Amino acid sequence: MAAGHPAALDTLRQAIRTDHGFTEEASLPLGVKTIDATLGGGLALGALHEIAPEQPIHLAAAYGFSLSLAARAAGRLRTTLLIQPDFAGLEGGRLYGAGLELFGLSMARLLILRVGHPRDALFAMEEALKCRALSCVIAELTDDAPAADLTATRRLSLAAREGGALALLVRHRICKISSAAATRWTIAAASGPRDNFGGLGQTAFLMTLTKNRRGPCGRWTLTWNHHDGMLTDAAHPVSLAAAITGRPDRTAYASSR
Amino acid sequence: MNDAAAQRGLRVGMVLADARAMYPSLDARDVKPDADLHLLETIADWCDRYTPLVGIDAPDGLYLDISGCAHLFGGEDTMRGDLCRRLAQQGFHARAAIAPSASGAYALARYSEVTNASNRNLRALLLPLPLAALRIGPGIVAGLAESGLKFIGDIADLPRAPLAARFGPQLIRNLDRALNHEDETIVPRLPLPSYIVERRFPEPVAREEDVLGTITHLADELARAMERHGDGARLLQAALFRTDGKVQRIEIGTGEPLRDPVRMSRLFDDRLAILADEYDPGFGFDVIRLSALSTARLDPVQSGLSGRDDTAELAHLIDRFSTRFGAARVQRLVENDTHIPEFATRVVAAQAVRQMSASLPPQESCLQDSLLPIRPIRLFEYPEPVSEPVAEVPDGPPVRFRWRQMLHEIVHAEGPERIAMEWWRDNADAVPARDYFRVESRAGTRMWLYRQGLYGESDEPPRWYVHGLFA
Repeated sequence: MAAGHPAALDTLRQAIRTDHGFTEEASLPLGVKTIDATLGGGLALGALHEIAPEQPIHLAAAYGFSLSLAARAAGRLRTTLLIQPDFAGLEGGRLYGAGLELFGLSMARLLILRVGHPRDALFAMEEALKCRALSCVIAELTDDAPAADLTATRRLSLAAREGGALALLVRHRICKISSAAATRWTIAAASGPRDNFGGLGQTAFLMTLTKNRRGPCGRWTLTWNHHDGMLTDAAHPVSLAAAITGRPDRTAYASSR
Repeated sequence: MNDAAAQRGLRVGMVLADARAMYPSLDARDVKPDADLHLLETIADWCDRYTPLVGIDAPDGLYLDISGCAHLFGGEDTMRGDLCRRLAQQGFHARAAIAPSASGAYALARYSEVTNASNRNLRALLLPLPLAALRIGPGIVAGLAESGLKFIGDIADLPRAPLAARFGPQLIRNLDRALNHEDETIVPRLPLPSYIVERRFPEPVAREEDVLGTITHLADELARAMERHGDGARLLQAALFRTDGKVQRIEIGTGEPLRDPVRMSRLFDDRLAILADEYDPGFGFDVIRLSALSTARLDPVQSGLSGRDDTAELAHLIDRFSTRFGAARVQRLVENDTHIPEFATRVVAAQAVRQMSASLPPQESCLQDSLLPIRPIRLFEYPEPVSEPVAEVPDGPPVRFRWRQMLHEIVHAEGPERIAMEWWRDNADAVPARDYFRVESRAGTRMWLYRQGLYGESDEPPRWYVHGLFA
């Protein structure tokens, strides 16, 4: 079998990949043009991204944003791993299965690992990223403990590159120490548009991109449209006609009279 | 009582004061049956190196079923000699005998100098032994002695019905068992593995790398043995026999039947890494054994052309995490048939959910039905009480409240959604219904808030709790 002609099999696999366009997608578009342009096509797959809430109270918003990214990366078949230290569950609440589907994640495609110590979370994340069966690994860290410093994040980045999965590190607080992550986001909950029946309406995020390897940083307000499973720009919910330009100057016209 | 005391004329059953009178320097200790049993179990563990079938005969005996094992140790007598010599090296005085029946071996070991009996001479060897060798109570022995019956030979040929009528069926049964007329099974103290491979070393090995290397080799052999029968392991055990008699057992469970030797040794590698202090080779191990305690059907599958098997890789990751962090910590969520928010989903160990990801068809749509009420993504294990709640109307949502030392002003609220306890349960009335509200604070955060009970139901105003957080 494979042991007999490894080289021949590899050549075949390569041929199939190139012929049928099975090349690994390098990035995950968020579906919002301005952000995708800033990110150079989308969030890089096989790379580490850090997400933190603007204030501890916005933790759920940061987590919701991560879940929406995980759902986009997972598609319909692949599995997402969530790593949660025990203390994170006590402080910010445990992941609630019934609420997951709002973000398009199915419980059957979800694996949860609870660890006792942040160090274990980093170890598990690194090991999981090397496993090619996962589409996304989300790990939570309760504080900016020295555990996740430049070296640790560098290791995670390398592991993510090896496995090709989306690696998301959700910190409970904004971390000041430098990190090897490809992008860093600060997320706050924003007041979303009301629905027509007096309800709370769609979930909205105020997202600040504070580090971007591939381009400039930025700040956007997005809403999560759970019916279509996509993020939309809150400022331009529908595409508008381009701003009108090239008209004669009104003031000049008035003064000439 | 030790040999030295016996030589000086002390007897079991003597009053301690009398013995002290004879020898004032006598060292007397309390009997510790638990400690004795524990020691016996440790020795039984060690005897596992000869055969996996070791039964305990409390308080001071062990049965070893060596059918089919003796040739591995150079014959029955060599094996017996090796066992006694090794036990003597550890400071135990042991008597051992080999016989076709367990009761026969018991009688020979304790009441005879003969060490090996075959089916042919067993009867001849047992007949001259005293009746106590049949493991019958002292009352029956004394009763038989009154009739002048002192040896097994005296009763072996007597009519059985009167004997059984007079002394009970146990006597006849034990006699039959000793003479191998009736089968007697040894109850092994450990479950019998389906597959065993082991390696013995003339010089003990102690380095962790060597141990792991041996396990890798053994895993290879085990995999080949299991492949012949189409089995995969669900529970693996590595037994490390230390030269000083201690046996370390490392067990590893898998979610899917496993046959890949590389993955097996990887799991043991992970386990040894966390054992750290518990892994104590002492003077080294002289036997390392790998056994599959529980197996399941595993048919060979055709590997895909892409060269990647996501299902197997995921199963291996789950096994590795379960090995390292404990099976209960690697979880999957399943729905529960209840509307109580805390119990709507349940966690199960990922290893227990077999083939879940493989067998489930891809779902048509996993987006939440818009008719269902929206649920938070994070839920507090214990709802957190809020202080200073102010509500405009008694049944409405609060306008502001304090939670975790922060004042939250509510700008928008949705609700109430009343969730009562399950009325078909006995104590449903004891817990008041909850009114849930989705609220949005001025800062934009959304919370799941509930009021337990109604205003005016009791003298105290009802309490408010934060139960979860929305994104």
